[in-house]
Amino acid sequence: MNDAQSLPGPLVGLRILELANETGQFCGKLLGDLGADVVKIEPPGGEPNRNVGPFLDDVPHPERSLSFWYYNTSKRGITLNLETADGRRLFRQLAAASDVILETFRPGSLASLGLDYESLRPQNPGLIMCALTPFGQTGPWRDYLSSDLLHMAAGGAMASSGYDEADVPNAPPIAPGGGNAWHTGGHFACMAIMAALVHRTVAGQGQYIDASIHEACALTTEAAVANYIYRGEVLRRQTGRHHAANPTPRTQFRAKDGTYVCALVAGRLTPKYIGELADLLDINGMAGDLRDFKYQDPAVIATNTSHIIDDLVANFIASLPAEEVYHAAQQRGFTWAAVRAPEQLLEDPHLHDRSFWKEVEHPELGRSFVYPGAPAIYNESPWQISRRAPLIGEHNTEIFCGELGLSRSELCVLAESRVI
Amino acid sequence: MPRPRALENIRVVDFSWVRAGPWATRWLGALGAEIIKIEWPENERGRLPSTTTPQHLEVNLNTSGNFNDTNVNKKSLSLNVRTSKGLEIVKRLIAISDIVIENFSSRVLQNWGLGYQELCKVKSDIVYVSMSGYGHTGRHHHYTTFGPVAQAASGLTYLSGLPDKPPAGWGWSYMDDTGGMYGAMCALTGLYYRNMTGQGQHIDLSQMVSGVPLNGPVLLDFTANGRGSRRAGYPPGNRAHWPGTPLVNNYRGPTVAPHNAYRTHPGEYNDWCVIVCHSDEEWQRLVQVMGAPSWAASAQFAAGVGRLQHQQELDEQIEAWSMTLGKYELTERCQAAGVRALPVQSAEDRVEHDPQLRHREMYLDMEHPALGRHKVQNAPFKLSETPAVNRLPSPLIGQHTQEIVEELLGYSHEELRVGFADGTFWPTKRARLPYMEEMLR
Repeated sequence: MNDAQSLPGPLVGLRILELANETGQFCGKLLGDLGADVVKIEPPGGEPNRNVGPFLDDVPHPERSLSFWYYNTSKRGITLNLETADGRRLFRQLAAASDVILETFRPGSLASLGLDYESLRPQNPGLIMCALTPFGQTGPWRDYLSSDLLHMAAGGAMASSGYDEADVPNAPPIAPGGGNAWHTGGHFACMAIMAALVHRTVAGQGQYIDASIHEACALTTEAAVANYIYRGEVLRRQTGRHHAANPTPRTQFRAKDGTYVCALVAGRLTPKYIGELADLLDINGMAGDLRDFKYQDPAVIATNTSHIIDDLVANFIASLPAEEVYHAAQQRGFTWAAVRAPEQLLEDPHLHDRSFWKEVEHPELGRSFVYPGAPAIYNESPWQISRRAPLIGEHNTEIFCGELGLSRSELCVLAESRVI
Repeated sequence: MPRPRALENIRVVDFSWVRAGPWATRWLGALGAEIIKIEWPENERGRLPSTTTPQHLEVNLNTSGNFNDTNVNKKSLSLNVRTSKGLEIVKRLIAISDIVIENFSSRVLQNWGLGYQELCKVKSDIVYVSMSGYGHTGRHHHYTTFGPVAQAASGLTYLSGLPDKPPAGWGWSYMDDTGGMYGAMCALTGLYYRNMTGQGQHIDLSQMVSGVPLNGPVLLDFTANGRGSRRAGYPPGNRAHWPGTPLVNNYRGPTVAPHNAYRTHPGEYNDWCVIVCHSDEEWQRLVQVMGAPSWAASAQFAAGVGRLQHQQELDEQIEAWSMTLGKYELTERCQAAGVRALPVQSAEDRVEHDPQLRHREMYLDMEHPALGRHKVQNAPFKLSETPAVNRLPSPLIGQHTQEIVEELLGYSHEELRVGFADGTFWPTKRARLPYMEEMLR
């Protein structure tokens, strides 16, 4: 492998303008970490989502939002008020020299400012513009308000996630946390932008992309839609495992340390598997009757499934810490895992072997912080964080003066009139 | 005239199986690439076992509904790559392809003699995307995953649930769907880089690792503030904060109330609506939608912190009202007034009742030779010049073997016959399917 870390990312040389709130900033981060020069355009004073916590040391401040920090790595930042004529003029100049615009305004907003794709394209036929919005640019829900929770509900995540009645009676459907509606929209939008960019390398032309977070979420529930379309089934929620038309054996077991292990056993119980399972459970002397010759008969296994899972496997896992079960099982070829809290990942040696964590400098604070890095290792053009999130207007001088040729005094005037 | 396609003239050799890999190539296919799925019926995973075969059909290699939706826009070449002849044929295919993608465990392709170095000898600028559970690099590269295992190990499962209860997790393989997205992004970025520089590469994607960055703010709260997520009140179910626990942001947006799921009329399994108010102003709009009940005028609910402190009572009162309305009616009333609300939607709801998805043509009919006519899921984005469209139903196993072997690779018809006879294109002991007999005429 080359010393890939010193090489530029696969999107090197691309200029992307990001006009994105909490719904689209992750897509911009993906493109920036992949090597594009992403210029984030914020309103004067900064994006409202700079005020979303948690904050560094619990001190609320627009430059201390850890959420903003995370979702805006590898970007430069400028401020620009598109409600002003000067702001629009400067934006058009930037758009003329950019490859991609990513925007998350409400449908019709940019058109009302004269900054929609049709207005910008004539001066830059290669321009790709992606509008990433909750519901897309058309349709009866086009102007609906949303949030992460709302998308998890309407997209179908909640209908599939929750609890067995025995674990939590009358439980509501549960929306998995972490802001994954925005992630899911961002993944699909990134894919669409990349496809347009590849097309442009051949055809030379740009295009407009209308991406919908609701649709992206509705596509992201594995076989739920196929279960309905092909069999008319509506699936039930189950604790820590797949939705199902009919109840399935549990796969989540409490370990000795009070945390859980995900152990997929049901559906795999062959005589051969029973032998391997006995070896695993025996590391703590917990194989019970698994070595009994009777388990050579698949019919006996079938009638003892509950005994094997709910007694033997459950008791074995209850006898050891979750991490120990996880590694012992995986080393023996079992596809099991500890249910870890994210912070436990900091101690995972496998991630260190992959140089996953990234120490990101925050020079204004004189400190650096450890960030999660990239999903994949590219051997020629690394996917990696190149810089911390921009401060408000941090690159105004660099871009407005350095690139667009404004003088320092013009910049001052624009700041006074709240254009930047 | 047919519209141009974004990935016109791009050919993908697709060894992937089950869900994550096929979900990646499904989208590359919708974007116009030619996807050639290499399959072998003796160790096939994805077509079988099937829990999505229509009740009136026999379960076999060609009748999985979920396989169909996961594998539209592809062709199938049945080929035993574990023989030297099969390997030779697949190398000939790779030599005229752009991308190789697979989601086996970490050493499988290398053991077949198709590691990255070997691939480069066959096609010097190949883009090779491996999508293994833990990646090809790192001490646990040999560990294996399914979606739920990747979700558990990466921290995603833990983020879902009620406080003091076991994790609820994700009711499906979120990291198979999302892993597929990363597979497609890796392939496309690799392809872009190749088109710009002429240089291919190996992209070592890991399903487990790609789940970790989805916990970004949780991890930064730990690395910067030292606060872990194993704490009282976390995860807070559907709420932004669990009453009676320390008031800390829960990594899903602002800490506000109401922010919950509420039962709706008539109270069946999926009769729920979620309602969120991001500000006092939005709360006041909700109060109006509810008909300005006297309880809502109470001072304890007037401002955000009070609503968070008295969330239990607030949620009970809202639910008493929401139970009087159907979830779609409640949604319309709230949204018309500028209140954030949407229904919990099952798959049936999305396919049959969601007016937005219907308007956007999310589910369109497509004919499949074994399954018949069914709705297939469409792309969640509309590209103005090169729309992503489903052009082909999922292939029957080996359906395109003749087309690929003879027309694309230039083998003779006699060589195809010999290959079927010697077990290269179909196991000799397995009955050939009718369309294979057709090919051999």
